[in-house]
Amino acid sequence: MSVAQVGLDRRPSGATGASILRPRNLALIACVVIAGWLVFVPLAALFYTAFTEDTGLGPGPYSLQNFVEAYSSWHVARLFGNSLIFATGTALVTLVMGGLVAWVVERTDAPLGGLFHALALLSFAIPGLLTAMAWILVLSPNIGWVNAMIKSTFGLSQAPFSIYSMGGMIWALSSHYFPLAYLTLGPALRVLDVRMEEAALVSGARYWQVVPKITLPLLRPAILSTVLLLFMLGMSSYEVPRLIGRPARIDVFTTDIQAATHSAPPEFGIASALSFTLLCICIVAVFFYRRSTRNAEAFATITGKGYMPTRIKLRTWRWPVALATFLLFAISLGLPLITLVWQSFYRNLAQPFVGSTGLASWENYQFILHYPIFVDAVKTSVLLAVMAATIIVLLTFVMAWIALRAVPRSGWALDSLAFTPVAIPHVIVGASVLFAYLMLPIPVYNTIWILLIAYVTMYLPYGMRFISSGLTQIHKELEESAEVSGARVRQVFLRILLPLLLPVLLAAWIYIFVLAVRELSASVFLVGPGTHVLGTISLTMWEEGGSYGAVSALGVIQIMPLIVIVAALRWLELRVQRRAAAAAAKAAAG
Amino acid sequence: MFAIDHLRKTFKAPGNVTVNAVDDISLEVETGKLITLLGPSGCGKTTTLRCLAGLERPESGRIVIAGETVCDVEKGVFVPPSDRGIGMVFQSYAIWPHMTVFENVAFPLRVARERKYSSAEIKDKVVRALDMVRMSGYENRPSTQLSGGQQQRLAFARGLVREPKILLLDEPLSNLDAKLREQMRVELKRLQKGLGVTTVYVTHDQSEALALSDEIAVFNAGRIIQRGSPQDIYRHPKSQFVADFIGSANFLKGMVKEAAGETALVETPHGVFRCNLGQTITVGQSVLVSARPEDFVLYDKPPGEGLNVLAGRIVHRVFLGEVVDYLIDIGEGEIRVRVKPEFDFRIGQKVHIGVAPQKCVALPS
Repeated sequence: MSVAQVGLDRRPSGATGASILRPRNLALIACVVIAGWLVFVPLAALFYTAFTEDTGLGPGPYSLQNFVEAYSSWHVARLFGNSLIFATGTALVTLVMGGLVAWVVERTDAPLGGLFHALALLSFAIPGLLTAMAWILVLSPNIGWVNAMIKSTFGLSQAPFSIYSMGGMIWALSSHYFPLAYLTLGPALRVLDVRMEEAALVSGARYWQVVPKITLPLLRPAILSTVLLLFMLGMSSYEVPRLIGRPARIDVFTTDIQAATHSAPPEFGIASALSFTLLCICIVAVFFYRRSTRNAEAFATITGKGYMPTRIKLRTWRWPVALATFLLFAISLGLPLITLVWQSFYRNLAQPFVGSTGLASWENYQFILHYPIFVDAVKTSVLLAVMAATIIVLLTFVMAWIALRAVPRSGWALDSLAFTPVAIPHVIVGASVLFAYLMLPIPVYNTIWILLIAYVTMYLPYGMRFISSGLTQIHKELEESAEVSGARVRQVFLRILLPLLLPVLLAAWIYIFVLAVRELSASVFLVGPGTHVLGTISLTMWEEGGSYGAVSALGVIQIMPLIVIVAALRWLELRVQRRAAAAAAKAAAG
Repeated sequence: MFAIDHLRKTFKAPGNVTVNAVDDISLEVETGKLITLLGPSGCGKTTTLRCLAGLERPESGRIVIAGETVCDVEKGVFVPPSDRGIGMVFQSYAIWPHMTVFENVAFPLRVARERKYSSAEIKDKVVRALDMVRMSGYENRPSTQLSGGQQQRLAFARGLVREPKILLLDEPLSNLDAKLREQMRVELKRLQKGLGVTTVYVTHDQSEALALSDEIAVFNAGRIIQRGSPQDIYRHPKSQFVADFIGSANFLKGMVKEAAGETALVETPHGVFRCNLGQTITVGQSVLVSARPEDFVLYDKPPGEGLNVLAGRIVHRVFLGEVVDYLIDIGEGEIRVRVKPEFDFRIGQKVHIGVAPQKCVALPS
């Protein structure tokens, strides 16, 4: 609880009336305690497990034996190397792909920009596990249909591609994450003031000098933060390494940590010791990520008044560029999706558009929909997602308000606290929550409550991010004028803040709901016999020999509702943006 | 009507520097008056206003509004802003975008705790308040569809609808364009006088302060450095800061040779000046002689007796329409002079500058 103490010590000196017992200070303490519990109790359990002897019946006396065991073989060096190559490769490939799309959409007059944006958001609806499965169906040397097609067309004796390689892993993850790179780079490119480039041109620079000397340095914070973000996501990625890396014997930290906790007997100590390195790498990445985004404002790319977006005129290249971009989406997003949908109508392995054994049928869907484990998992996943989203939205609404408005001087502590889980890979959240509640006398093990605790911890930063940025858009004077008009805090919340923030709260709720429904990496540690979620049953079905058709149908059934929900989220966001733009225009017009 | 007594408030600036935002301020204002808190940004005027509203908690001091102590740090009294019975207009207007014009004005009545208003009463009061600011007929407009000037009027109507004990205005005109600002200034003055509501007006615009106020309190670095009527502040500044901040002024360094009652003789490098005394000043003290640009007269030959006279050469001339500004090199330093355009002088021309002794003030330097 060190953060809580720091928070309290920073109270302004001599601020009379700022007694600890004032309601807003009590609320601050309550929020710090809840968030601190969620964040630090599992981490403490992780540390404790790592530095004590693993007796098989819980932690024993203090020792460094776990570290010796985990770090004394060459295996750990390979783990380290694989993880770094995988994460760095993903970051770079997504940067190039996302950067190209961002440039086409934001800086050129190529058509279909709206479609590309929608497709980028669509990828958010697809669980990572299903992308990995689909790529195996496409590019596996044995069963991948694209490989088979190329082999038969060109008469090759060997498959040209293998998904079971480092390159295959990087590609599978990048195809899923590059829209994210586009979404983070896009706004930076959009608000880049052309007049800064024009000023360079007027000063006598050629266009090819302007790009490296003006444009790229201005974009450096955005590029850096994108690379760091995707590096972190690559480091914490679990689905692709589990499905593709494991059969290929390319181990990374996340899969090894999970394997250690699920080995017989479980090696919690070694899992904890391995988590350390992963956690440290992620903390360093987050540190630099925050630094790069914090300095972003110094690079005043937005200038408000008189901002004029001019786009590069591609002339005859407009459609070719748009088609090339479309092709990128078609290959990375369309190919796996079509494969899944096609396969879901056949019992045995099927090749899209080519021909398949047997007739297309709804058989797989009927099987899945009447499969009791599936029905239970849907119930559990939806219930968990609803609870997690509701709890986080309510909690972060209060936390963001306290951090930004009520106690702004010590609010930073709350903000950092809520942001901390971003640095913790979900695999580690899963493992440490498991360790913590095995030790603590709180009977949540093997219930959905332990999953809920993990979900709330993981998605706390997203809720905080959404709601605090929504709150900063609401001028503080809107609340103060209500107070001066005679409204009490409760009335200010209900009559002013809630209606104004409602779209943001809803958007945050939906966003967290989707993340929670897709969740796998932490859930694999925490599900019990009666508490399987969609992610874990999909994984089990894939690994324990469900038919390809049934697994695909299971995937399609998950993706379809998620697409609808993501579309709703987009609609909400557009509404919020339009309102903010209208308010800004009004303010500028004065 | 209200009194502020030894108010103090500090802020932590980045780098752990303590800034005295409000440094021992005391102020009393009578019912029906409009007092302006005037000063540069960061001088403590807005913090004082916010303490009065209850939006900031002072570290020491006492505030009494209409006989009720709303804040007394020593006794631990703090009435929240919602219970102070004040009206306030914010710099951003703070019009709630999710409510119509009617609902914005009705809000203070709907949340009122001292009594419950019936919907007929609310309607009646809102219509009257909107009528007062000439916004009748806009009741059902979404508040987002108003121009800047209309939002401003709406904010006034909302501030006045509860018939507040005092009305607090935080730079209410600063977001309007120049023409609208002058128009609103006149309207605001008429409204305030008509209602007789005690008003505190915060601004950094000295012309606004001079035009509107019954009384001006000039703030600098968290303190009130001079209080008085607009004429008094303009004509008899007591310090270089006030002379410079209100209007503009020329300063000449000098030393007091003789002092008698209200007047003094000051020895300057440009000759002996006869001046009024801004404050008690002793013989031998070094002072600044302050005189406003519009009080000078330009001559092409030396003027007669009774004036303080300087000689110089015109280095710059700015035609402003109603007046012409000249910058005149007087050897050591320059003097700004503002005259009617009828008198035309050329750049480079040698001129004599005269100023009446009663228009010159000797200030401690």
